Amino acid sequence: MTDKWGISRLVLLMESLVTKDLKVRYKRSILGFAWFLLKPLFSMVVYYFVFTKILRFGGAIPHFSLFLLTGLLPWNFFSSSLSATTSSLLDNHRLIRSIYFPRMALPAAEVAANLVHLLLALVVLEAILIIFGHYPGISIVLILPALILLTMMTVGIGMLLSIGNVFYRDVKQFIEVLLLAWFYASPIIYPLDSIGVDIVQSQNLVAILKFNPVSGFMEIMHSIFYAGTWPPLWCWISLGSWSFVLLFIGISVFRKAEPVVVKEL
Amino acid sequence: MTNVFLDYRLYHDRAVSLRETMMNLFNRKTSIENFRALDDVSIDIEPGESVAIIGSNGAGKSTTLKILAGIYRPTLGTAVSSGRIASLLDLGVGFHPDLTGEENLMLNGAMLGLGRNDMKALIPEIADFAQLSRFMDTPVKYYSNGMFMRLGFSLATTVDPDILLIDEVLAVGDVGFQEKCYQRIQDFREQGKTIIFVSHDLEAVSKLCNRTVWLHEGRIEMDGGAEDVLSGYLQKASARMKKISTTATPKEWGSREIWFDSVKLRNSDGIPTGIFRKGDGIIIDTVIKSRIPSRVDNVVFGFSIHRADGETVIGTNNLEMNQPLLSITGSLESSIEIDLDIEEPGTYLLGIALTDPEASRDYHWQEFFYPITLIEERKDPPLRLSQAVWKQE
Repeated sequence: MTDKWGISRLVLLMESLVTKDLKVRYKRSILGFAWFLLKPLFSMVVYYFVFTKILRFGGAIPHFSLFLLTGLLPWNFFSSSLSATTSSLLDNHRLIRSIYFPRMALPAAEVAANLVHLLLALVVLEAILIIFGHYPGISIVLILPALILLTMMTVGIGMLLSIGNVFYRDVKQFIEVLLLAWFYASPIIYPLDSIGVDIVQSQNLVAILKFNPVSGFMEIMHSIFYAGTWPPLWCWISLGSWSFVLLFIGISVFRKAEPVVVKEL
Repeated sequence: MTNVFLDYRLYHDRAVSLRETMMNLFNRKTSIENFRALDDVSIDIEPGESVAIIGSNGAGKSTTLKILAGIYRPTLGTAVSSGRIASLLDLGVGFHPDLTGEENLMLNGAMLGLGRNDMKALIPEIADFAQLSRFMDTPVKYYSNGMFMRLGFSLATTVDPDILLIDEVLAVGDVGFQEKCYQRIQDFREQGKTIIFVSHDLEAVSKLCNRTVWLHEGRIEMDGGAEDVLSGYLQKASARMKKISTTATPKEWGSREIWFDSVKLRNSDGIPTGIFRKGDGIIIDTVIKSRIPSRVDNVVFGFSIHRADGETVIGTNNLEMNQPLLSITGSLESSIEIDLDIEEPGTYLLGIALTDPEASRDYHWQEFFYPITLIEERKDPPLRLSQAVWKQE
C-alpha cells in the first residue's frame, strides 16, 4: 500500500475536495450559492399553489409555505447528495487511476459540500420563520444530532450508489425515479404526527410511512423548526437505526468492492 | 512486492446494463474472462535504487507501477512501500479544468498530504520550474497541453517525495524543458531517492537507472544490472524486429559460395552486447566458410551502418581503407573492430558483406541485419579543471 493516512490528512483531503466542489459549482454563476436556496423556494411556490389552490389539503396547515420549506431544504440536500454521489466515482476515474487516496472521500465530499449548503440554508430558514412568528424553542439544539445522523445515512446510501453505478449505469437513471417516489412517500408536503395536524387519515398508512428512512428526520425538522416542539421519540429510533445500519452497509460494501471498482473504471 | 498476481476482468462485449446481465444470467453465457496481467512477480527495491521497468506493450509495466503506487490492490500477494510517493503516471490528471493553476496545486497537495501552508510555500517554486508563474490564476482549461504537463511534472517533483514513480511521461514540453526534467530526475538520484521508471526509451533507461526489470507477458524475464538486461532485451527485440519490421527490413543475398557462418557482436571489453557506449569499440566476430575447393584471394569484407529507416550513414570495406584483403580456404575467423564518434545516440542497423569486386561477385550480403544501440553516457564529473590562472597587472 502507500504512505499513512491519518485523521489530519483525511480532514485536509476532505476539506480540499469540498472547497474544490464549491468553487467549481459556482464559477461563472451569477447567483452562485443562492441557488441552493432558490431551488427549494421555487418548488415551495409550486407546491404551495398545487396543494392550497388545486388539491386544497394544505389549507389545514397554517403558514403552509413555511411548513413546506422546512421539509424541502433537507430534502434538497438529500436528493442532490444522492445524485452527486452516484456519479462521483465515475466522474473522477482518471484521478482514481493516477494517485492513491482513500476513495471513500469522493462520495463523502459530495455529501459534505451539500451539507455546507444546507447549514447556510437553515440559518436563512430560521430567520424567515422568526419573521413570520415561528419562534424556535430549546428543542432547536436537537438539529445538530439530527443532522449528524442524516449525514451518516446519506453518506452510507451514497457509497452504495457510487459503487453500483460503476458496474451498472442503470443506477443513475433508477435513482431519479426512486427519488421522485421517495419524495412523495416522505412527510415533506404533509405531516405525519409531528405538528398535531392529521392529514394522512389512515393510521395504518402512517405506521408504514414511519419506516421510510427519511421520515424521522423530516418530522424532526417540522417539530423543531416549524412547530417549536420536541420531536416524537419514534423519529429518533427510526433515524438512528437507519443511519447506523445504512452507513455500516455502505462502508462495508465500499471496502469490499473498492479494489475491483478501481480496475473496472 | 512479493509474489504479486493481478487479474483483470476482461469483458467481451461487456454488459453494462441490468437487462443484459439478466439475460446473460438466464442464458448462462458469461462474457467475462480473467486476464492475468501480473503472474507471480516479486520485486524488492531498496531505498535509493533507481529501477527501470521495460517490456513490450501489455507486459504489465504500468500495472506494476499502479500496484506500487497503491492504486491497484494485488489479486494475490502483497505489495508494501514506505515513504511519500509521487507518481507521474498520468501527468496533471488530478487537475480540474475549471480551477486555476494555483487552486489545482492546493488540491493536489492535499492529496499528497501537504498542508495548506506547506503547499502555499511551494507554489512559487512549482510555478517557476514549470515556467507558468504568469498563469497561476488562469483556469487550467485554458492551458495548452504542454503547459498542463509541465505543471504536473513540476508538482510531482517539487513536493519532495521519497519515491518517484514515472510512467513514460518524459516527453514533456519542448527540448529545453525535457532537459530540465532529466536534470531534476538526476538530482533525485543523487539525493538518494528511489526512482521507478517505466519506459520504452532505452536510452533514457540506461541514462537514469542502474537496475532494470524486464517484464514479459506478466512475468519477470530478467532482473539485474541495466546493461545486462538491456542487451538481453534488445537481442530479443531484434529477433522480433527481423520478422515484423516496418522500417528497413533485413535483407540477405549473394551466391553464398563464401558465406558468414556465424556473426557475433561484442564491445571492446569482450562482452557480447548490442549496446555500445561512447568510447566502446564495436567488434564484429565472424566465422566465414567457403565451399570453393581452391584458395580464394582478395575477398573484400565490408560493413555499413544505417539509420533505422535504412538511410546509409557509413559504408566501407577493407579495400577502401587500405587494409589486408581476406584469403579463404574452407573456413576462416575474421573480425572488424570499429571505433565510432557518436554524434547522435540511437538505434542503428549494421550490415556486413563479402564481395570480390574484381571478379564482380557478391558472395554474401547481410544488409540492415544487426541492430545496434549507441548510447552516450553521462559523465561524472562533467567538467574537469585543467588550469586556472590569476593575474594582477
